[in-house]
Amino acid sequence: MKKAVKYWCGFVLLLCVFTVFTAFLPGYSAYSDLKFPYKKAGLTSEQAAAHLLSRFTYGATPGEVEEVVKVGPEKWFAAQLDAQMPDDSLNQLLDKYDALKLSNTEVVAQYPKGGQVLRMAVKDGVVNKDSVKTDRKAYRDQLQNYMQQNGLKPEQELLRQFINQKILRAAYSNNQLQEVMTSFWFNHFNVSVVKNDCSQFIPAYERDVIRPNALGKFNDLLLATAKSPAMLYYLDNFSSSGNNDNMQAGNGQVRRRLALQMQNTDTARFANMPKLNKAKKAQGLNENYAREVMELHTLGVDGGYTQQDVTQAARVLTGWSVYPMGAYGNAGQKLMNRIGDDKLQSRGFIHEGDFLFNPNKHDNGEKTVLGHQFAAGGGYDEGVQLLTMLAHQQATAKFISKKLATRFVSDNPPQTLIDKMARTFINKDGDIKQVLITMVDAPEFWSAAAVREKTKSPFELAIGSVRALHADVNQPYQLFNWINKMGEKIYYYQAPTGFPDKGQYWINTGAWLNRMNFGLALASGRIPGIKVDLAALNNHHEPESAQAALTIYSKLILPGRPLDETIKRLTPMLNDPKLMEKVDEASAKTPAATMAQASSNEMMDQQTGLKGKRKNNFTAMQSTAGNNSMLAQVVGVIIGSPEYQRR
Amino acid sequence: MVSRRGFLKSGGLALLGVGLLGGIPGFLAEAAASEKIFSPYKKKKTLVCIFQRGAMDGLMAVTPFTDDYLKTARPNLFMSAAKSGTGTPLIDLDGRFGLHPAMKAFEPMFREKRLGIVHGIGSPNNTRSHFDAQDYMESGTPFNKGTSSGWLNRAVGLLGHDALTPFTAVSMTSAMPRSFYGDNPSVAISNLQDFAIQMRGNPTGANMAAKSFEDLYDQTASDLLKQTGKESFEAMKMLQKTNIKNYTPANGADYPNSALGNSLKQIAQLIKMDVGLEVAFAESNGWDTHFNQGTENGIFARNVSDLSNSMMALWTDLGTYQDDVTVMTMTEFGRTVHQNGTGGTDHGRASCNFILGNDVNGGLVYGDVKPLAIENLEDGRDLAVTTDFRSVFSSVADKHLAINNDHILFPDWKGDRVNVMRG
Repeated sequence: MKKAVKYWCGFVLLLCVFTVFTAFLPGYSAYSDLKFPYKKAGLTSEQAAAHLLSRFTYGATPGEVEEVVKVGPEKWFAAQLDAQMPDDSLNQLLDKYDALKLSNTEVVAQYPKGGQVLRMAVKDGVVNKDSVKTDRKAYRDQLQNYMQQNGLKPEQELLRQFINQKILRAAYSNNQLQEVMTSFWFNHFNVSVVKNDCSQFIPAYERDVIRPNALGKFNDLLLATAKSPAMLYYLDNFSSSGNNDNMQAGNGQVRRRLALQMQNTDTARFANMPKLNKAKKAQGLNENYAREVMELHTLGVDGGYTQQDVTQAARVLTGWSVYPMGAYGNAGQKLMNRIGDDKLQSRGFIHEGDFLFNPNKHDNGEKTVLGHQFAAGGGYDEGVQLLTMLAHQQATAKFISKKLATRFVSDNPPQTLIDKMARTFINKDGDIKQVLITMVDAPEFWSAAAVREKTKSPFELAIGSVRALHADVNQPYQLFNWINKMGEKIYYYQAPTGFPDKGQYWINTGAWLNRMNFGLALASGRIPGIKVDLAALNNHHEPESAQAALTIYSKLILPGRPLDETIKRLTPMLNDPKLMEKVDEASAKTPAATMAQASSNEMMDQQTGLKGKRKNNFTAMQSTAGNNSMLAQVVGVIIGSPEYQRR
Repeated sequence: MVSRRGFLKSGGLALLGVGLLGGIPGFLAEAAASEKIFSPYKKKKTLVCIFQRGAMDGLMAVTPFTDDYLKTARPNLFMSAAKSGTGTPLIDLDGRFGLHPAMKAFEPMFREKRLGIVHGIGSPNNTRSHFDAQDYMESGTPFNKGTSSGWLNRAVGLLGHDALTPFTAVSMTSAMPRSFYGDNPSVAISNLQDFAIQMRGNPTGANMAAKSFEDLYDQTASDLLKQTGKESFEAMKMLQKTNIKNYTPANGADYPNSALGNSLKQIAQLIKMDVGLEVAFAESNGWDTHFNQGTENGIFARNVSDLSNSMMALWTDLGTYQDDVTVMTMTEFGRTVHQNGTGGTDHGRASCNFILGNDVNGGLVYGDVKPLAIENLEDGRDLAVTTDFRSVFSSVADKHLAINNDHILFPDWKGDRVNVMRG
């Protein structure tokens, strides 16, 4: 009997070890028994792979459809969910972006805002405040010198590095789903560079708050956003404080001094505003975050909350603020450091990274949100309770599920699918991976109403093209400029809604021509710092004819798609008897520019050592300029074609 | 789907036939020449709408300065019309309402009765969500989220003539605004110069590509893409870059170097080009002043200064075209009567709007702003909506664009118009 128990225990132990072990194996474990129902929907495995790639990556790279068919769509998807693929070459590229490794405190110290630099310079007696009116240039030079001497850099440089890294990640990361989900959640929990107060904190927001939680639990993500400086500034909660009647009872001299310092810290960020003194005294409730967290982050606008709930939730979240940092918060920070975290904690402060719960700003009264009562004196914990409660509402499950389905299935996803996903959301405690699995496992995901029904956003179009052509991106910011021109200035969307996820939003006449222009510019190598080697795509086999080129490259760029129509439509262009003449004539006019482009690309290539494995055949292709122009023209037209705008 | 009128049939290409063509490719010229020649566009009336996104604080823009309740509710934000004191006073419009001093450009227009103001305007739906309130205002159906079209798009369908051009309805935004959603032709573009297929130094290639794209979009199975393609190419053919580059505003008009200023400048260009512009749309951002909105200086002052100066630059630039143009502003809701704890205001209900034009019966503050006492406030906190935005929009659409089909323009609405227009 004893022996049996022993064996049994051993078996259980073994089972545990096995479970733990397999859980850490990428692409294994819980997902191994998946079987996506694409065959029933009438899709071939190639079509299924293409569909999967079109939804969960920024576009298939050459040969990727075949790879997915080979490993099996389920396994490929599981590996993407695990997001553990090595990304060495990408990381190497990102290594040079030093600003992206900084903490928020370091960012504030090294990349101060223009106004702050000015104040520092004036204080140090380097710049005379009035000189701005008299001599603009001298004034600018003075400021620039001051910045250099003090090791300060312009904020624009930080944002530039940040945008560059996003484009590189989207283009080159092997963990594509994680990157796609990072974009999705960033847009869901949108913050905007346009709002000056929060822009410095956005790189760390995406890096520390969004990306690590993109495939985790919704509740964790919600809490992390709520406590991040970017969100606290973007939706003003950092400034929200309780009605004095309900403020905590007196707690001594230090508390009052501290409260005053904290106030100074907050308002000093906006010290260029007039009426500073008045603002310092002004303390009170700000509903902005409380409303948006319900309307946009969790319940949805029809989620059954009232204005009363908004006000009460705002009271619950009073005191959720940012730990003083950098030059702005010097006074407050010094004081805080002197007091020390232990003492702060004993006074009800919570200091976690950049987050600070300030009990002196917290409304200590009783509140009721969505019928749930928060007893008086709940402090920091009641905010966590509120957010946790919101994260677990039925309305939230539906709202998030619908948004995911809209992103990954179609602009109007079927209710049946949303319901399935929402059930998983509730049953699996908001586990985002599980919700995605439910979605891909559903027939609705594979139905004809879903396949190719999404319209690419400008970002997806640009990154997708780069991936499809295996382009070398040496100047990512050039792509950002194009994406902006096509209507999607990433990180600059002002409203907390984020960009709408509807084809109709992107499809409009003005921006549309820019998509075609983008295709032509990219394929013909006219975007500085983006190198395309079309011949290499086809293993340097020169297509025998224009017609052959059209067929070959259409298949390369639009794998798994029906192409007869596109090819048929484009054929007349190629059959123009004077075509070659025209093209040669045209390209003869611009050899210098093209060559200059090529050599500058090479130089950049050598600098960065990017994609060294692919030999540079660009120069060789110039010798067959006619063919190359032709090819570029064909490829450009394919990228600008209606078929390529869909995913 | 409402039937789309072909631009070719309506003569959209006719004016390309002669002279104007310049860099337009030969095949397009041929296509144009083969079409029946229509007379050039007659001058048309143009309605320019400006959406102030983020919800303008109407009580600060046009302040009922005799109201003591407001003064108490806004200890740091209230401004006075009295000339004494340190700050710049409000511009006293009528003894009760004062215009924010940063909008001084508007004053002469108000005195000349060409600028009208409606106060207490808003939506009957009391949502305080930016997104929903904008959605409702732009769809024109405050209780129906399912309305797929925007009110300005429906207005295009009600213009009562078939001679629509690619520029009948233009939004100077990079994305199509909700007001323009729908089946009637409309265009969104932030820069007119982008209306071209471009291959630097290779016009032949560009022409060929344009032709290919046109064929592809003409034949695509997706209706949405097909329509977009069609409108794109037709618009492209009508515009010539040379006409747009190096534009000099007339009469010394000085546009602010802002997004709104640039938008209105390009709208002026289109109006003067006589390309058939009848409904124009532009956006002004940054009105969500939760934090330190300022008084005579600060965020709010900068915003209203940009708004009024941009509108007045457009007005000056238009010169002899002024009779044909009405400009109307709108914003999704107003802001709380009380200032909040952070020197700003939170989401409220009613705001005010401005209507500028020679058709406008101006010089008046329309609407019904009751004394701000707690019992008069909506939900005990906000300036009550006493004028449905549709009663103003419909009046402007009727008197300026001769659209009097209110049950299509604003379905489910049965209210009375506020006659802010002459005649």
